[in-house]
Amino acid sequence: MSLRRFILKRVLSIIPILFGVSVITFALVHLTPGDPIDQMIGLNPDMTRADEAQLRARYGLDGPVWQQYMTWIGNVITGDLGQVYSSGRDVSWIIQARLPETVALGLFGWAFGLLIAIPTGIYAAVKKDQFADTASRFLALSGISIPNFWLGLMLILIGSLWIGLWPVLPPSRQPLYHPEMLWYLILPGITIGTASAASIMRVMRTSMAEEMNKEYVMAARAKGLPERTVVLKHVLRNSLISVVTLAATLTASIVAGSVVVEFVFNWPGLGREFINAINQREINLIMGITLFTGVFIILANLLADILYAVLDPRIRYD
Amino acid sequence: MVQDPKQSDQAINRRTLLQGVGGAGVVAVAGCLGDDDDSDAPFQLQLEVNADNSDRVQMVELIAASLEDTGYFETEIETYEWNTYTGRVLDTEYAQNGYIPCIGLSGTFNPESFCNALHHSDNHGQCCNLVGVDDAELDDMMDDARYGMEVSEDPDLRRERYDDVWHHLAENRYSSITHFDLQTAVTSTDVHGFDMWPFAEGMFSYALYSPQEEQVAWIDRDNEASEDADLSDIEEGGTLHGAIAANVDGFDYPYTSDTTSSMSQFFIYEALTASDSEGNVYPWLAESYDILDTQDIDRLAYEDYMITVDADEEGALDTEEQIIVQHPEDDPIGDDEVRVLTPEEASDAVDDGVFGMQFRYELREGVEFHNGEELTAEHVVASYERYENSDISAQTFDSVLHAREVDEYTVDVYAQVPDAEAERELPIYIYSLEQADMEGGAVDPREGVTPVGTGPYELDDFSDEEYVEYTKFDDYWVEQQGVDSIDWFDGSSEFPDGPVVERVELEIVPDDATRSGALQNNEVDITYGLATSTLDDFEASDDYIVHGVETGGYEYIQYPLHVEPWDDERLREAVNHLIPRQQIVDNVLNGWARPAWTDLPELAHGTGTVDHDALEDEIRPYNEYDQERAEELLEEVVEDHDLN
Repeated sequence: MSLRRFILKRVLSIIPILFGVSVITFALVHLTPGDPIDQMIGLNPDMTRADEAQLRARYGLDGPVWQQYMTWIGNVITGDLGQVYSSGRDVSWIIQARLPETVALGLFGWAFGLLIAIPTGIYAAVKKDQFADTASRFLALSGISIPNFWLGLMLILIGSLWIGLWPVLPPSRQPLYHPEMLWYLILPGITIGTASAASIMRVMRTSMAEEMNKEYVMAARAKGLPERTVVLKHVLRNSLISVVTLAATLTASIVAGSVVVEFVFNWPGLGREFINAINQREINLIMGITLFTGVFIILANLLADILYAVLDPRIRYD
Repeated sequence: MVQDPKQSDQAINRRTLLQGVGGAGVVAVAGCLGDDDDSDAPFQLQLEVNADNSDRVQMVELIAASLEDTGYFETEIETYEWNTYTGRVLDTEYAQNGYIPCIGLSGTFNPESFCNALHHSDNHGQCCNLVGVDDAELDDMMDDARYGMEVSEDPDLRRERYDDVWHHLAENRYSSITHFDLQTAVTSTDVHGFDMWPFAEGMFSYALYSPQEEQVAWIDRDNEASEDADLSDIEEGGTLHGAIAANVDGFDYPYTSDTTSSMSQFFIYEALTASDSEGNVYPWLAESYDILDTQDIDRLAYEDYMITVDADEEGALDTEEQIIVQHPEDDPIGDDEVRVLTPEEASDAVDDGVFGMQFRYELREGVEFHNGEELTAEHVVASYERYENSDISAQTFDSVLHAREVDEYTVDVYAQVPDAEAERELPIYIYSLEQADMEGGAVDPREGVTPVGTGPYELDDFSDEEYVEYTKFDDYWVEQQGVDSIDWFDGSSEFPDGPVVERVELEIVPDDATRSGALQNNEVDITYGLATSTLDDFEASDDYIVHGVETGGYEYIQYPLHVEPWDDERLREAVNHLIPRQQIVDNVLNGWARPAWTDLPELAHGTGTVDHDALEDEIRPYNEYDQERAEELLEEVVEDHDLN
């Protein structure tokens, strides 16, 4: 199968997957108790059950679930993701407004993760079982184990309150594309990047270590190639396949956003909006963000598959 | 042990080594979850609470421990996710389960909000008579304290009647209110003259300018604020930076009335009347108002004007019109058709002189909206129409019957029945004509529609999920006319004609630790909603002032009085004596609350009792922690119900 056909097939497969995702998410949202009207009225002694029913009817939340789903999916097909009940905002408007914030943060964190992970992973593999390797393992374990919210709060405490290099609140009046914003991405970026760096680093190290034991490496060394060339030209390229797969999968988190980090750093992204949506039982917004993220995750996996072929032409798409 | 499949698996078994209680085996008490053969306690009970409120869970744990200490109780605590919990406790069947629910509610200046929701039989199956209290005498007492010719014309009689309600509740003890919440905010010492409003919604607008109590706040970054602000020190100008705890969903009050949205709207919109922190009402956009007529009618008086509409199984009515009054004898859930009064028929009724009360508001002339319109009676009538079929129409039109323009600056607002709360309940926020006719929720700066009101601040900029900014309105009517033009104002000549802070910039920061950090880093001057432990730290610092005021928020448990032996008031009285109110406030809330020695918080003292000190002297003994008395009562119940 040609790469083009493979991509086409995978893109088309998005449709049934998204349909499945939408059905499951819609069902899950409706299985959890409470709906937007419950959140809207809270505990209000002035509201009778009939008043509630009236509100529910007004917002189209009174029919059976399947009927609500059909209405919703019908609108989605025509490009209308619906509105948020509490504020009347369009779901697509919210996604559009929040996405750049999340992507900026996610990209920075992702880049930071790769920047740290790849050299450290290579170094750990080269210095296998030596102090550097143990130290990198310790760091990786710490990176995976430290909860994001704690690391975020610690970075705020140190970077903002003790050293005073960063404000606690990001400068929201500045456009996101302003170069100055790079500075404010550092702390949340480090927080996000640390966890992904840890996993990439371990994969990099294991994969490199495996390659180092192979015969072609011995042959390269026997040829008298300098160690630097052996590692960076031969071993690194062959080790990158699994790292690329992982890194490509992690790109999905660029869009999905980091809920905790966005909360702690007051970053108005998609993750924070998603949590609000769940708390408020904003069905349309939950569905909209889920579908959007679903598309991106599928595309990220597709990207990983394509990169496979680029890095290793032996891989075939059957 | 009765298990409900919907219950969370987080059951906290508080079984302790029970003291021997009067002899042998355990008798399973009907309705008291008593099928545990290992228990020696005569009373086995299940307390229920929502898991996401850790203070509330801890409070229930303290109550459970206190009950178990007597040796008479074995307790279980069941926790639920909030929506599961509310769905569960608001079910009419819940009252038959024999469980003890714990929940929190928010009341207002209206004393009714501290008794009616919990105890009126109309509120069983909705918020918040969870255990089905069905005391006809109490229903009448509560209704008679709010509605009718006598109380609507005689505030003292109303206070007396509420005193009777509090006594009746103390003697019958269907519920136990444990404490009243404190609303807190922390300011840096750059903020001078700040004072708290008992409801979060009005926190900023009240503190910045409120002639009712000569309240004004200002920014002075060169001098440190003290607890006692002096008007002669006022600095004009400056920007107040604040951090608010949630996004502003919208600026269209009838369609977005959550706390932070209301907080943000109250800079912009004003009503015909204003209130002080004790709930006293003052003419505001109305220069004066009077009650022209009160008639001794109930809602049945509108029967002849009502039309019939279909009702579906859930109770939703098949009409686009606002329901002003629903026939008291019809049930939208049980009946296929319901008789209702809509705005058109309400107007007909008023034409015929059928109404409960007639309030006449004389509007202040020369009040300018932010868009240059001048306030007239037409604005008032249009604003009431904007509230029709909105998200808050149910609570608006449970009092309002009709609004009618008399002349350019005079408007009559009619109440449905004689209602002692009408003075507070009838006034609403007034819209400009430019925006009053817009579709619901359309007043939204995200859609390019800047909200327009008569308030002291104009919306300058708003970025969804990020910030909201206001700037002073140059043509604010109080500044134009002078505070002395307000008849009732008798304050200091130094009190300014309008707020003195030039700009307000509020950052939207949902995480309380981040808000606290921003305050510590001098990025904001004020925030609120911080954890009680954080408040202690701020209070210990000289660089911050912690402000607290008692609100209408309260926590309570209710007794399953339809299940034996809880129908015995001595058992309920005994449990009430075992609620460690002071300990709850000291240990769970770090002192940031007040024990509920009566059912009435400070903010409702004005209309809810003749003399609160006397009331507290009389009621407090019922609510004091008294293990000895509780054990006496429990012993009597055990013997009389043969529970040994």
